[in-house]
Amino acid sequence: MGLNSVRASPRRSLERSRESVPTGMRASAASLAEILRYIVLTIFLIYCILPAIWMLAAITKDSGQIFTTFGFWFANPPHFFENVIDLFAFRGGIFVRWFGNSLLYAGLISLGSTLICALGGYAFAKYDFPGKHFLFNFILGAIMVPSTALVLPLFLMLYRLGMVNTIWGVILPSLVNPFGLYLMRVFWDASFPNDLIEAARLDGAGELRIFWRLGMPLMQTGLVTVALLSFVGAWNNFFLPLIVLSQDELYPLTLGLNVWNSVSNAGVGAKPSYHLIALGSFISVLPLIAAFILLGKYWRSGLTTGATK
Amino acid sequence: MRYHKTALLFLTPFLTVFAAFYLAPVFYAIYLSLFIRKRIGIGPPKEIFGGLENYVRAVQDSDFLNGLKNIFLFGIVQVPVMLGLAILIALLLDQSRGLFSRICRTVYFLPYTIPTAIGGLIWGYMYSRHLSPFNQILNGLHLGTIDFLSPAVLLFSIGNIVTWTWTGYNMITLFAALQNIPKDIFEAARVDGATTWNIVRYIKIPLVIPTLQLCLIFSVIGTSQLFTEAFVMRPLGYVADNITPNLYLYLTAARDANYAYAGALAILMAVVIFALSGAFLRRIGSR
Repeated sequence: MGLNSVRASPRRSLERSRESVPTGMRASAASLAEILRYIVLTIFLIYCILPAIWMLAAITKDSGQIFTTFGFWFANPPHFFENVIDLFAFRGGIFVRWFGNSLLYAGLISLGSTLICALGGYAFAKYDFPGKHFLFNFILGAIMVPSTALVLPLFLMLYRLGMVNTIWGVILPSLVNPFGLYLMRVFWDASFPNDLIEAARLDGAGELRIFWRLGMPLMQTGLVTVALLSFVGAWNNFFLPLIVLSQDELYPLTLGLNVWNSVSNAGVGAKPSYHLIALGSFISVLPLIAAFILLGKYWRSGLTTGATK
Repeated sequence: MRYHKTALLFLTPFLTVFAAFYLAPVFYAIYLSLFIRKRIGIGPPKEIFGGLENYVRAVQDSDFLNGLKNIFLFGIVQVPVMLGLAILIALLLDQSRGLFSRICRTVYFLPYTIPTAIGGLIWGYMYSRHLSPFNQILNGLHLGTIDFLSPAVLLFSIGNIVTWTWTGYNMITLFAALQNIPKDIFEAARVDGATTWNIVRYIKIPLVIPTLQLCLIFSVIGTSQLFTEAFVMRPLGYVADNITPNLYLYLTAARDANYAYAGALAILMAVVIFALSGAFLRRIGSR
């Protein structure tokens, strides 16, 4: 070291300053790359909201304008409020009923599924038992079974049990959430140190108490993430209600709007036109978007934890 | 870690629902698929034990095979395009900061939150002849129109919907992985004189490959189960019954009431997907 290091440092600091201030060719290359980056990101931004733009434009139009005016721009004067009234009045307010159904199903499924996944995930994360490894992989392997392999025989089973066309036929099967179990296990591993558990056991606390009083409060991020993902999945559920429900008062929004769509195109009877279906679709996605934006910090960090394990 | 009995207690709720609503239907499907409908003498056809006859019929069924072919096409075109886009956007976002970056991250994720049934509906409207704003634009520029729902273009149209829905989700997962790379690696690389492109090529991409593989598996599994997008577009235009295996399966059961055959198709699909995923996992495990 000694003399050499003294001579080395001024040169290196000069190099570093040259690097950090882009000049000439390097500067224009850097800013060109930056401009390109913004362009690409903005194009993708527009692509993502394209259907939303169409939807927002469509809900301001009446039944004729939707065919005649430009798809991506609004009607003038806008018919938004008339459309809202038409939508809610249609067939005695069945849209509101459908909205309530979606809320009910998604809410119960989300709560129930999160709870049983939290319990199960805790077992896999904090206990050892024979067959643990095999069982976990078996459950995860279940994700690979296509849902259609299940839903049709499920329907026949439910039929035998008299559960078709009931809310339980939709709710109970949806409680199964292998991915939620996996996430919960990851979160338990990350959030609940074993020393805490050992200390509590030494103090004589029971296992259930440790889980509920000590563990669960530490799991906020995990619980919210799984609950949110579960809520989204349940809200968007289409195939199961399609098979199980035949009474339109029990339909969730996804099913109801699509039934309107098929009726609308078959040209039979009183049919809500495209602009109302667009409005209904818009309203049906609002709760999810609100939930994601409001709970953003939870699921963002949650997905990060899940992605790295 | 001991306490076997307590562990089982915690697992009971999950396992009960799992066994009742996941395992039982699968076994029931296998059981059902072993029956076929045959006319025995006079009278309506009866369900009799047919062994594997449904399966034999399924592997020769041109409709089913057509669906599988479409899934395969999806797998080699749509999935790479989507994941390529996802990693590109993730890398670009990784270098961005500030409000624009945050807006992008939220907006890119939103299509995933929209129910597939609704997204397919809206895109269907944007594709349909009467309503399509794309055709309005093309017409305005005197470039003719594209029939997005014609048999030739339909698969691309459906592919577009899937890409639109899932790119953001995959992108966020990859982005999270990128953000988790320790910053010291980048500093060390810069001191060694690495350019941005070098860093991307030799550090970021290799470290992100495990996550990418996970995304790939889930994408393949999702692709094989394609149903909703095709189904909700049926009222808007002609969609072939056999365009995806799941659609064909559904119609076999719901419209033709041939539950046994539908069951066989479903089990076959499950086996195919299992095999594919298994092959992928083995390749990953060997790395």
